[in-house]
Amino acid sequence: MLSRLRSPNLVPMLAVALVIAALYYPLMLLANVPVAQRALDSGAALPCGSALECATQLRSPVLPSPQQLWTGFANLLFPLGSPNAIPRNAAVTALETLVGLALAAVVGFFFAIGIVASRAFERSLLPWIVASQTVPIIAIAPMLVVLLGQYGVQGWIPKAIIAAYIAFFPIAIGVAKGLRSPDPLSLDLMKTYNASSWQTYLKLRFPASLPYLFTAFKVAMTAALIGAIVAEISTISFQGIGKMLAENSRASDVVATWVIMIASAVLGILLVALVGWLEKVVTPWKR
Amino acid sequence: MEALKVGRPSPAARPLPWLGVAAVGLGFALLALFIWSWWDRSDLAGTGQKLLILAGFAAAAYGVARVANFLAAVRTGPLVGFIPAGLTLALVLLTVEALLRAYQVPAGLIPTPTRVFATLWAVRDVLLQDAYQTVVLEAFTGYLVGCGLGVATALLVSRFVFLERGFLPYATAFSSIPIVALAPVLVKMMGLEWPSKAAIVAITVFFPVVVNTFRGLTEVSPLSLDLMRSYAAGEAQQYRWLRVPNALPFIFNALKLGTTLAMIGSIVGEFFGANGQGLGFRIQIEAGRFGFDIVWSAIIVASVIGIAWYGLVAWLERRLTGWHVSFRE
Repeated sequence: MLSRLRSPNLVPMLAVALVIAALYYPLMLLANVPVAQRALDSGAALPCGSALECATQLRSPVLPSPQQLWTGFANLLFPLGSPNAIPRNAAVTALETLVGLALAAVVGFFFAIGIVASRAFERSLLPWIVASQTVPIIAIAPMLVVLLGQYGVQGWIPKAIIAAYIAFFPIAIGVAKGLRSPDPLSLDLMKTYNASSWQTYLKLRFPASLPYLFTAFKVAMTAALIGAIVAEISTISFQGIGKMLAENSRASDVVATWVIMIASAVLGILLVALVGWLEKVVTPWKR
Repeated sequence: MEALKVGRPSPAARPLPWLGVAAVGLGFALLALFIWSWWDRSDLAGTGQKLLILAGFAAAAYGVARVANFLAAVRTGPLVGFIPAGLTLALVLLTVEALLRAYQVPAGLIPTPTRVFATLWAVRDVLLQDAYQTVVLEAFTGYLVGCGLGVATALLVSRFVFLERGFLPYATAFSSIPIVALAPVLVKMMGLEWPSKAAIVAITVFFPVVVNTFRGLTEVSPLSLDLMRSYAAGEAQQYRWLRVPNALPFIFNALKLGTTLAMIGSIVGEFFGANGQGLGFRIQIEAGRFGFDIVWSAIIVASVIGIAWYGLVAWLERRLTGWHVSFRE
C-alpha cells in the first residue's frame, strides 16, 4: 500500500482531479443558469432571488452542484442498514454479481476444456460463442427475468443467473486461450514423462491458464455487474442498485441518480480491484 | 502430441464420413417428421413421440460430431469450415421447435423458432425503423464521436508524460464502471431523443479506445525509435511513420470491441426512456407484455446488425493492417 502511495502517478493524478474539480463549478453554473432563469421567468415560487443563486438549488439540475451531491450522499448512505440506502442495496447487487461470476466460471471452465480437448466441439460451437460476443446479449435479460419468474425462480437468483449468462463468454474464451498457452516444449516434456492427459491438465494446463483466467475475470466482473443491474431494472425487484436506479429515474430525482451512478462506479472499481487482489494472492510468481 | 503433428492431410486423403452424413440426415428427418405431424395438434405428445425426438436429436448430434471431426482433420476453406457450426444451429433450432411443440409450451412464454421467423417477417417495417433509430442515429453517431475523441486523446496523452500519469489511471478505472448506471443520468440530462443515447455510446466507447490506442502508440520497439532518431526524424514524422502504424492493430482491437459496446449502450440507454422507437425500447415494452416473439425478432435484428458491423470493422482491419503478424500464416 505504501509503495502505491509513492507512485509517480500520484501528483499528476491529483493535479488532474483538481483541474476537473475547479472547472466543474463554473461549468455547472453555465449549464444550470439558463434553466434557473427559465424557471424564474415562468413565475415558479423558488426560495432564491437571482438565477445565479437558484442555479445551485434546482430540483432537476443539468449538472448537480457539489452541495447537492453532498446532501444526496448524506441522504442515501445513511442509515447503513436501511432498505432504501445505498450500502445494503450495493451489497445485494455485489452478491448477485459474485454468485453470477462463480457460476459463469464453472460453466466457462467446462466449455473451455471442451474447446481445447475436442476440435469437433470447437468447430461446431466456437463460431456461435464468438458471434454471441458481438451480439448485445443484454437485450435478452428482460425476457430471461420474466421467463425465470414464470417457473418460480425469483428474488436474487434470476439476477445471478443473468449475470452468469453475460459473464460466461469472456471466461470461456479466456480460459481456452490459457489452456492452450503452454509452449510445445513443455507439452513434449509431459509426454516424455508419460503423463496422462488428465495429469497434463492438472500439472501444466491449469496453472498456465491462471493469468488468463484473471484477465478474463476482470472483463467478466464488469459484464456480470452490468447484467445484475439490468436484471434488477427490468423486473419487479425490492433490493439492489438497479432497483434504486429505476425508482429514482422514474421519480425524476436527478441528484439521486447522480449519487447512485457514482456509487455503482465505485462498486464496479472495487469488484475489479477484488479480482486484482485475488490474482496477486493466487499467482504470486507473476510479478 | 499436437507439437509432433506436421501438417493436415488434404481432403482427398481421407474417405468422407458417410456414416456421419447419414446420421445427420436421419436425425433431421426424424425431427422434421415429428414437427410436421404435430404442426396443428394442441395436445401433449406421448412417450413414443418424445422418444422419436430423442432418437432424432441423438442421431443428428452424433452425425454432426462425426462430420465436425472429419472437417477438423482436413484443410478447408472458410465456407466449408462453417458447415459444423451451421449444422449445430439447424440441430438446435429443430430440437427446440420439436420440444416446444411436444410439451405445448405456450407461445406467450417461449415462442417456437418458426413463429419467431414469421413474426420477424410480419413486423419487419417497424423493426427496421427501430433499427434505424438505434443503430444509425444512436450507436453509429456515438461510435464515431467516441472513437474520434478517443484516438485524439490518446495522441495527446502519449505526447505528454504528465497527462499519461495523471489521466490514464482514470481512463483505466472508468472501464470497470457499469455503463447502465450512466444511462439514467444522461437521459435525464439530454432528453428522450436520440442524442442522449448517442452520448452514452460515445462515453462507453471512448475509454477502451484511449487505453488501447495509447498502448499501441507507446509500445514501440526501442530499436525503431533509435532508427528514427538516427534519421533525425521530427516528432511529427515519428508519429506518421512509426507510432501511428504501430498503433493501428491496437486501435482496431478497440474499434471491434467498441461495436459491441455501442450496440449494448444504445439498447440499454433506451431502457431508461426513448421517444417511442428503438430496438431497446421495443424489447423493454414487449417483454413487459409477454410479446416474446417480437422480443426475439428484435434480438435477431440487433444480433445480425451487430455481427455485420463487427465484420465490417474486421474487414477494414484486414485491408489496412494486412501486414501485421496476426494475419500471417
